Amino acid sequence: MSRLSGTRLATLGLLAAALVGLWQSLRLDSWGFDGPGPGFFPTLVAGICVALAVVVFFFPGRAGVTEEGDTDDVPKDASAGTGNAFAIYVVSFGLLALGTAFAGFFVTTVAVTVLIMRFAERRSWVAAVTYGVACAAIGLVCFGWLLRVDLPEGPIERAFYTLVR
Amino acid sequence: MEALLHGFAVTLSLDNLFYCFVGVFLGTVVGILPGLGPLTTIAILLPITFKMDVTSAIIMLSGIYYGVAYGGTVTSVLMRIPGEASSVVTCLDGYEMARKGRAGAALGIAGFGSFFAGTVGVIGISFLSPPLAKLVLAFGPAEYAMLMLAGLTMVTYMSSGSLPRALLMAAFGLLLGTVGSDPLNMTPRLTFGILALGDGVNLVPLAIGLFGLSEVLFMARQRPEDMKILPPPSRVLGFLPSRDEAKRSVGPVARGTVMGFLVGLLPGGGAVLASFLSYGIERKLSKHPEEFGKGAVEGVAGPESANNAGTAGAFVPLLCMGIPANAVTALLLGAFIIHGVVPGPTILERQPEVFWGVVASMYIGNVMLLVLNLPLIGLFVRILEIPRAYLTPMILAVCLIGVYSSSGNPADVLIAVIFGFVGYGLRRYGFDLGIVILAYVLGPIFERSVRQALAISDGDPSIFLHSYLSTGFAIVAAALLIAGLWPKKKARPA
Repeated sequence: MSRLSGTRLATLGLLAAALVGLWQSLRLDSWGFDGPGPGFFPTLVAGICVALAVVVFFFPGRAGVTEEGDTDDVPKDASAGTGNAFAIYVVSFGLLALGTAFAGFFVTTVAVTVLIMRFAERRSWVAAVTYGVACAAIGLVCFGWLLRVDLPEGPIERAFYTLVR
Repeated sequence: MEALLHGFAVTLSLDNLFYCFVGVFLGTVVGILPGLGPLTTIAILLPITFKMDVTSAIIMLSGIYYGVAYGGTVTSVLMRIPGEASSVVTCLDGYEMARKGRAGAALGIAGFGSFFAGTVGVIGISFLSPPLAKLVLAFGPAEYAMLMLAGLTMVTYMSSGSLPRALLMAAFGLLLGTVGSDPLNMTPRLTFGILALGDGVNLVPLAIGLFGLSEVLFMARQRPEDMKILPPPSRVLGFLPSRDEAKRSVGPVARGTVMGFLVGLLPGGGAVLASFLSYGIERKLSKHPEEFGKGAVEGVAGPESANNAGTAGAFVPLLCMGIPANAVTALLLGAFIIHGVVPGPTILERQPEVFWGVVASMYIGNVMLLVLNLPLIGLFVRILEIPRAYLTPMILAVCLIGVYSSSGNPADVLIAVIFGFVGYGLRRYGFDLGIVILAYVLGPIFERSVRQALAISDGDPSIFLHSYLSTGFAIVAAALLIAGLWPKKKARPA
């Protein structure tokens, strides 16, 4: 897919989001007895967003150097052969969201780490599992126990907190 | 002066000194790591500060922001890889100096120049903020609305991409800011009946998704490469520039400091623009412009001073007017608000300990940075040797902790993941995500000002042109829009 078509695809996504926003905001009151209502600003902004998305779709213009510290400009040859790894990273994001809801911090961290290290980075099972358990244990002890930060809870977290708190 | 001394008393407590050190240390490390910017780091660490004292939290987060400008220099000079955007220019001459065996001098000049500029910048904050805060008290809703419009327009104008793209990002950020309850009468808006969106899209999952998770996806696309690291000097004395180099650096450091601070005050300004402008000015003023790009010491001294002064300058509109100059200060504004501090003209009266504590911490932080950046550079460079296989799971675990702990809601992790993909897609095709965050944070304040002004005028939009101030801001916004649509050539990073 060329860079231009990618830009247009991204713009289409933004246009769709803006249209949905416009549709929702048009259902709100734009004006009330005391002045502008809850729908006034979202309608205005969504309308501008739609108009700009249409402009950018037809005239994409110059791409920007994006925010501080990023590594956008991946040369074509540099990303060659990384398709599988990228797909596994994408899957790991899904696992992260699902695991948080159902499995707790420890299991999710170990699962995500093993998935990435074993299948995307081709490290050994031992290295992947050991590193995953280490990351999860450090997170649980340092953040969950010592700093008392809220972590997603599963059976392992509950058992651990029962022991230490 | 008395207030500043009170600020030092606040900062010199053991707790605050510790958090100041943690902030500048993390800032330096983040600056060294290409890919991890201050935005990602502050977004990730923001939830961890929720249980901290407000002053300590702000001192630490601010330390990360100004510490990054120091750390970013190291990889620029030693590897020709900018640790963060404001160090891009340093790659040009800093790396060439390193190739000629002057890596120590380049790092030393950058370190001393950064220290001088950072300190002068903080002095500027100390003396400019109180009068500016008094001036801002004269602002009504119409003036605030037009000021924010001018600020947003300026940020989009400064963006390196085309103006319509930047405006689209600003509109997208404003639209995201309208999700959730209406700020004036709490009517749910754009929630699609989803309970998790009742409070809107939270700042933490949005920022972590757009910057942290999308960064992991970018890392996944890169093939591990052999990076050539030029070794920094092993002794502290090795960082001292020669007499000639020191003499040639004095002018660029002074000019970079003044110009960087002034640019930092502007919405859309800050460290990146300041460093590029300084490089251009030094090249124009130099008696040997042919040396630029081949290891000119002025090409390191000027931009490195300018980016640190620009970082300091950006704190003035943030603290006195509650208006962020760039994406990182927008995130800091979010952090202030989450901690119950409302930056703006009243901060000096209501929470002077926070304001002066943060300002005083910057003086101390700059000294810490100088000490950290010279002898410990060799140690920091080792961080670059951590393989991606170990770095990305660690980043994901920290992102998970950051997002979940901000609300205790698993839905926020899903939101962060969605914005991770959105951020990846937009960054990949050159959309500037910094503008999204800036507009998202400014959106509710902007909306409130617009609606209050229109309510006062009974819907008459001419209220935005009633005072000289608001008319002036409106003219600035219009001029920038017209100038942005004019075909122009922009400086591009090498």
